[in-house]
Amino acid sequence: MDSLRIPILKIGDVLIASIQVALHDASAVQFKDDLLQKIHDTKARGVIVDLTALDVVDSFIGRLIADIAAMAGLMGTRVVLTGLQPAVAITLVELGLELPRVLTALNLEKGLAMMQSLTEESGDDAS
Amino acid sequence: MTQAKAAVIRSDLDIVIARTLARDTAKALGFGAIDQARIATAVSELARNIFLYAGTGNITVREVERHGRKGIEIVCEDQGPGIADIDLVMQDGYSTSRGMGMGLPGAKRLMDDFDIRSKENEGTTIICRKWRS
Repeated sequence: MDSLRIPILKIGDVLIASIQVALHDASAVQFKDDLLQKIHDTKARGVIVDLTALDVVDSFIGRLIADIAAMAGLMGTRVVLTGLQPAVAITLVELGLELPRVLTALNLEKGLAMMQSLTEESGDDAS
Repeated sequence: MTQAKAAVIRSDLDIVIARTLARDTAKALGFGAIDQARIATAVSELARNIFLYAGTGNITVREVERHGRKGIEIVCEDQGPGIADIDLVMQDGYSTSRGMGMGLPGAKRLMDDFDIRSKENEGTTIICRKWRS
């Protein structure tokens, strides 16, 4: 079976990916590869990964998200995670996966605002 | 009592099927949203363990009742290589190269009862329960 592809949208120099279906392992790994390639191709300054629709984030997906943030960071791109449901936040911490180095925002709107201030800062550095 | 339902674990797709089965059963038994997420996440960890280490196995989900309390029981069985040192795999952060070191201890924290039996070269059985508050 082909793995599901998560659409990655570009608005300005920010990429937005909203995960709407339960990811199995292969489609999650595909998403990581697609996203890093898209960062490279578009020279995006920031990525927002929206998890509003996910009701389960297990250690595999949690670690993959932490990996994506670390890998994008190596490429000079910030990642903000948005929309974690209360039950998902609770289970992630109880599981022992607190994602300490991943930036988060309550929802997509706040995530975009956070990304704007982050990329403005780095924009000043670049100019 | 609702009937037990089983999922066969053969691929990473079956991990999603097993945890959806567990979540749907938990919901039908009256568990709240947060407990549904705990149960589904625990089953996801246990199903991935079967897939990674044994290749194939079964997960059975059923309703249980004890001392007037109702709950959900999840039985995970495989005929894989077994676990040589259970205390070691139950330590946080312990992992072989393919795992991430939080599957079993993480699943235990998310459930109320957690019992693991394993024999080298014969397989592993994990029985865990969560009680409705």
